[in-house]
Amino acid sequence: MADIMRVNMSDLSVKKEPLAAKYAKFVGRALTDAIIFNEVPPKSDPLGAQNKLVFAPGLFGGTTAPNGGRISVGAKSPLTGGLKESNAGGQVAHALAKLGLAAVVIEGKAADPAARYVLDIDGAGNGSLMRADELAGLQTYETAAKMREFKGDAKVALVTIGPAGELGAKAAGIAFSDPKEYQNRWAGRGGLGAVMGSKGLKGIAVAATGAGLEHADKDAFIAAVRKFSTALKEHPVTGQGLPTYGTNVLANIINEAGGYPTRNFSDGRFAGVENVSGETMREITVARGGDVKHGCHTGCVIQCSRYYVDKDGKYVTKGVEYEGAWALGADCGIDDMDGIAALDRKCSDLGLDTIEMGATLGVYMEAGKLAWGDWKGALAALDGIVTGSADGKVLRDGAEATGKAFGVTRIPTVKHQAMPAYDPRPIQGIGVTYATSTQGADHTAGYSITSNVLGVGGTVDPLKPEGQAALSQGLQIATGMLDSFGLCIFVAFAVLDNPAAFEAIYEMASAHTGDTWTADDLMMLGKQALTMERLYNEAAGFTAADDRMPSFMLTEKLPPHDAVFTVSDADLDSVFDFVPETAKAMGISKPV
Amino acid sequence: MRIELALFASLEPYLPDSEPGSGRRTRMIDLPDGTTVGEVVARLGLPDQPRVCFIDGRGVKEDATIAGGSRLAIFPPVAGG
Repeated sequence: MADIMRVNMSDLSVKKEPLAAKYAKFVGRALTDAIIFNEVPPKSDPLGAQNKLVFAPGLFGGTTAPNGGRISVGAKSPLTGGLKESNAGGQVAHALAKLGLAAVVIEGKAADPAARYVLDIDGAGNGSLMRADELAGLQTYETAAKMREFKGDAKVALVTIGPAGELGAKAAGIAFSDPKEYQNRWAGRGGLGAVMGSKGLKGIAVAATGAGLEHADKDAFIAAVRKFSTALKEHPVTGQGLPTYGTNVLANIINEAGGYPTRNFSDGRFAGVENVSGETMREITVARGGDVKHGCHTGCVIQCSRYYVDKDGKYVTKGVEYEGAWALGADCGIDDMDGIAALDRKCSDLGLDTIEMGATLGVYMEAGKLAWGDWKGALAALDGIVTGSADGKVLRDGAEATGKAFGVTRIPTVKHQAMPAYDPRPIQGIGVTYATSTQGADHTAGYSITSNVLGVGGTVDPLKPEGQAALSQGLQIATGMLDSFGLCIFVAFAVLDNPAAFEAIYEMASAHTGDTWTADDLMMLGKQALTMERLYNEAAGFTAADDRMPSFMLTEKLPPHDAVFTVSDADLDSVFDFVPETAKAMGISKPV
Repeated sequence: MRIELALFASLEPYLPDSEPGSGRRTRMIDLPDGTTVGEVVARLGLPDQPRVCFIDGRGVKEDATIAGGSRLAIFPPVAGG
């Protein structure tokens, strides 16, 4: 992968240029970070012409590395105000990588705010912008269907935004097509859909026709791929639990641990959990003839994705993921699986992040604007976002905006982004990640649930503060590496328990690139990504005060364990202690 | 003593045919005082693989002793996120 495609929405030009030397050592998340760090002023308006939206496949994009087809998407976030890197499955990462593109960078802003454009990247890896005003306001699946009409029989991977992104909603995400052409994989978090919308870009069609990439040492690469694939299939989580039940298998265990946030983080257990658990969702889907096991991108061997279908067996939405099922379920007091699926579909249609919107609806319900459990009322409230209702204009910007507008004091956010599906009081390791992550409250940034609850990668008592900062730090660094390589973070379950899985990653990297990658190199890449993010956020105005829990979590005891968050400020401030040394070694001090 | 037993995901078929508990995947069972988690695992014939066990919502090892009136929940290795 040697080229960057630069798409200038101001003058409508599309150019390819070789990857600059300063970017040559970065891929995926690290490349996304480096481009934003070097090219987007930290104080710039996230929805202005200076912001840039980056799409970057990882090191293993375009190869047969198992679970190596994730796409990194980044920009300055309109939600957090910091550097946002959101990561998704789907087909586009492989498609871009096979066309020799290390990144596509969307720059500038269309002169006419009413104009809509589609970026078409052809089978030769060349891009052009097409005016497509007829797509204005179309929902996600409609947009994808229209774009496929434009393309005829051409095999393409699609990137789209919904109407929420066009409206500049801070909770708007970006959707990617899956292997069966459902537009249902999401870079949901941080409002990146609004960044894309602000530029006038409604979609991207990428020719999915490129050949697989060559390897420096093909035999060694194949051997490492086999080793990695075997490790993933042999681990009970990636080989059995996830493929059988999907991510929502977590509902019962997190509820059991007392950390399943219920009715806007006021309880750690949800009485209706059995109606909405992964086990129950599987029973419903199997009974209705739905698909209960597939990968979200080509090359996935874990296969945790599924499709949720209605009583007639018709596709409704992706098999609701754990986070979405929780956000649109327990956090709103909703225990109706079809209701949750309808809300998930509504978020997808409008182009909204399910985590942020579930948390937003939870806050809205706490304000008394809607009854707990009223999923039909919630559907109508979400519709108000695009019809322009007074409340919809608030809801679209997320949980914190909604809480402030309606006088709610229990607002579960860090750096303005809503917390996902684990209460950090009885699961304190994830709280360290929420508090300190450059991304705002984000579980994927450092998934401490592993050792806190799941017994993967050792055990750290979730109710005590000891050991949580070190746990989160290690996981945040490892995640920075996985996101840069384009690997699904679920490979971490095998990597944490089986040294062979970790070895296979650097063996695949070495055999693919011809460079020598070591375990230390992998961790250094993760540190470099985080260092650029951290320095960027500091320049954007973040301080240690932003690395803290919302105050109610320090005092309000959460049932059933009556837990409060007790990790010290000093521990939180230690998580990024590697930044000065890493920055020095990288020769960087502050962004552009 | 009587406790509530909960078995989830692939362990659900190992639920004994006894009085239902508070949820769909739970049963009430009678055990001798001082029974450990490991003894319950053996009695149920659970498969020989890693497990995650909770007594009253707190993670425990298999040598933990169960008190009457408590809830024992056992999960196979699961994850997500």
